[in-house]
Amino acid sequence: MPVKNRFAEMHDDITAWRRDLHEHPEILFETHRTSATVADKLRAFGCDEVVESIGRTGVVGVIKGKLTASGKVVGLRADMDALPINEETGLAYASKTPDAMHACGHDGHTAMLLGAAQYLAETRNFDGTAVVIFQPAEEGGGGGREMCKDGLMERFGIQEVYGMHNWPGQPMGSFAIRPGPFFAATDLLEIEIEGLGGHAAKPHETIDTTVVAAQIVTALQTIVSRNADPISNIVVSITSFHTSSTAFNVIPQKVNMLGTVRTLSNDLRDMAEKRVPEICEGIAGAFGAVARVNYRRNYPVMVNHPEQTEFAADVARSVAGDCGEAPLIMGGEDFAFLLEERPGAYILVGNGDTAMVHHPKYNFNDEAIPAGCSWWAGVVEQRMPVLS
Amino acid sequence: MPIKNRFAETHAEITGWRRHLHTIPELMFDVHQTAAFVEEKLRAFGITDITTGIGKTGVVAVIEGKTNTSGRTIGLRADMDALPINEATGLEYASTIPGKMHACGHDGHTAMLLGAAQYLAETRNFDGRCVLIFQPAEEGGGGGNEMVKDGMMDRWQIDEVYGMHNMPDYPVGEFAIREGALLAAADEFDIQIVGQGGHAAAPHEAIDANLAAAHVLIALQSIASRNVDPIKQVVVSVCTLRSDTDSHNVLPQKVRLRGTVRTLDDDVRDLAEARVRDIVTHTAAAHQCTAEIIYDRGYPITVNHAENTVFAADAAEKVTPGVWRDTPPIMAGEDFSYMLNVRPGAYMMIGNGDGPTVHHPMYDFNDEAIPAGCSWFAEMVETRMPAA
Repeated sequence: MPVKNRFAEMHDDITAWRRDLHEHPEILFETHRTSATVADKLRAFGCDEVVESIGRTGVVGVIKGKLTASGKVVGLRADMDALPINEETGLAYASKTPDAMHACGHDGHTAMLLGAAQYLAETRNFDGTAVVIFQPAEEGGGGGREMCKDGLMERFGIQEVYGMHNWPGQPMGSFAIRPGPFFAATDLLEIEIEGLGGHAAKPHETIDTTVVAAQIVTALQTIVSRNADPISNIVVSITSFHTSSTAFNVIPQKVNMLGTVRTLSNDLRDMAEKRVPEICEGIAGAFGAVARVNYRRNYPVMVNHPEQTEFAADVARSVAGDCGEAPLIMGGEDFAFLLEERPGAYILVGNGDTAMVHHPKYNFNDEAIPAGCSWWAGVVEQRMPVLS
Repeated sequence: MPIKNRFAETHAEITGWRRHLHTIPELMFDVHQTAAFVEEKLRAFGITDITTGIGKTGVVAVIEGKTNTSGRTIGLRADMDALPINEATGLEYASTIPGKMHACGHDGHTAMLLGAAQYLAETRNFDGRCVLIFQPAEEGGGGGNEMVKDGMMDRWQIDEVYGMHNMPDYPVGEFAIREGALLAAADEFDIQIVGQGGHAAAPHEAIDANLAAAHVLIALQSIASRNVDPIKQVVVSVCTLRSDTDSHNVLPQKVRLRGTVRTLDDDVRDLAEARVRDIVTHTAAAHQCTAEIIYDRGYPITVNHAENTVFAADAAEKVTPGVWRDTPPIMAGEDFSYMLNVRPGAYMMIGNGDGPTVHHPMYDFNDEAIPAGCSWFAEMVETRMPAA
């Protein structure tokens, strides 16, 4: 089965939906217009059930197959939110909202899943139930986590979940996947160093927090260079360093730092969570300062389940002829929360030679739509086939 | 086919050879007794085409198959040298030479290749030529490189080469391999930081090379933590740091740092060398010191050729179902890499069971691995050059 003919017919419609979403980007959980658009369309397609406000602004649609004798329920998930970036594409359908932009292609993800929903609601050529999941706040708000907390899986009886992300640099419309850990856990660091502020001309009367904090930044490097198995993958980055004073002649009382820890295994994540406070508190103690560390576990490691990964790859092969091996990605993805609750798999669809996601000149490639929609439809029809 | 029956019969005899070699460990190129033992055994097996003194003290021998219509020549390689370690096993066949020990299992590698040679010389059930390669100085002398430089590959017209190493903490007699980089490039640096010595009570009149060296050591951590792609692998370890004084009240003139850089990718190897040089030079300059850097590229990356890895794993699977085809890479180095740089081939790991790791004074090769190891060597010859 190559790209489904129906999606060639629908390509212009789906492209128009995508571009409309692109013009109206919404951030985090504030996807009100997008969610309403999605819900309206799902109702117009004749979905058996459309439920709004799951995970605050998430939308769920239920499409029953011709038969539901198999008792199978497969979830398909797209994300709807945009990023706080000022668009620089100059496109006719560029964002109309300053400092908001669909710079990660969630407009395309949502449009492709809508296209697949329309097709599935028209044809219903499967034995089971497809649940289409449109989530807010993938970009940092944990919208997937919120939908799970609202009982998404239990309420709709979802047994397996699948997701898809476009990937710049991968040939347009091609697919790539890998089993096991795929996207990194993205933990957040907040570190406050408190010393004793004072006059810059009298350092001996102070406990200089800038020196302490600088030594902590340096010592944190050893989590990667000395503590982690070199075969494993980990990033520790301090991303923000702020003294409590901005003067030229004051030694600050406090320094606040922000950072992130990216890991691809829970063991490494546990190790980093232990080592970060040990290092901060130890070094601060060496200078008579105090370190307060808040290590916040954010998105978990996104782990593709082996069997569902192989199935997802088979579907991709049926659409595109081939399915590549995706690289490990140190970015995070909150589909991880869904994969912690149910077996499933996440696949990359090539966006061709475009700017990278999160870049102000990025744009989703509409040419990928037929392949993406066909994969969604294939997941449903091949996982829940109508046996004759 | 599981382990070849003949090796069940010769297991005790091969174990005897292994334990004899264990009692007479020899270092680097000084493997005279070991090479003589190898030659004597090969002659006893009826092998007449034996050449000694290749790569200083290496031994090369030829076993012709029943027929040679294939025109193919397969090289099988074992290493013979021991380590400068004082054995602490207390075994009855422990090293008789203080300060020298077979702590890496090369005694076992040599014995297994001798066992395979005995069988192959008896049966000759293959169509082509088998070249046995016994090399000195794997442990730092580059004996494999010396044999290659002596023209071994051309002189014996070797088409493919295969080698094997035991692997502690892996089930005994089971196999592990991976395509591509299996073992790391092992480069070494020797850095001298030159300051201005002086009285410890008057640091302002000196240029403290200790402090500069400490800053260098810390800055080198950033190669792993900041410069190399976290999806890739690198180790930068400073192993020796010595000031040229040994006092409580003298600041040194010079400090020496020695260490190693391990990489699994040529680009990362180049990047790491460039960064070591830049970091050392500039950090020293920041502290008013000068730096002299000797950066030696050691053993190259051991890269298993794709097709030959499959041959090797398939041969292993004839011996045991316990074959791991995607074992993680190992950051240790291996000079079989020189042979794989000039001929296609593959390096196989064979489980040594539970016990101390290699290079530990309590380590011992596990004789229970012998039948599986010998069978694999024999299978490589018989399956790559099947009898006509």
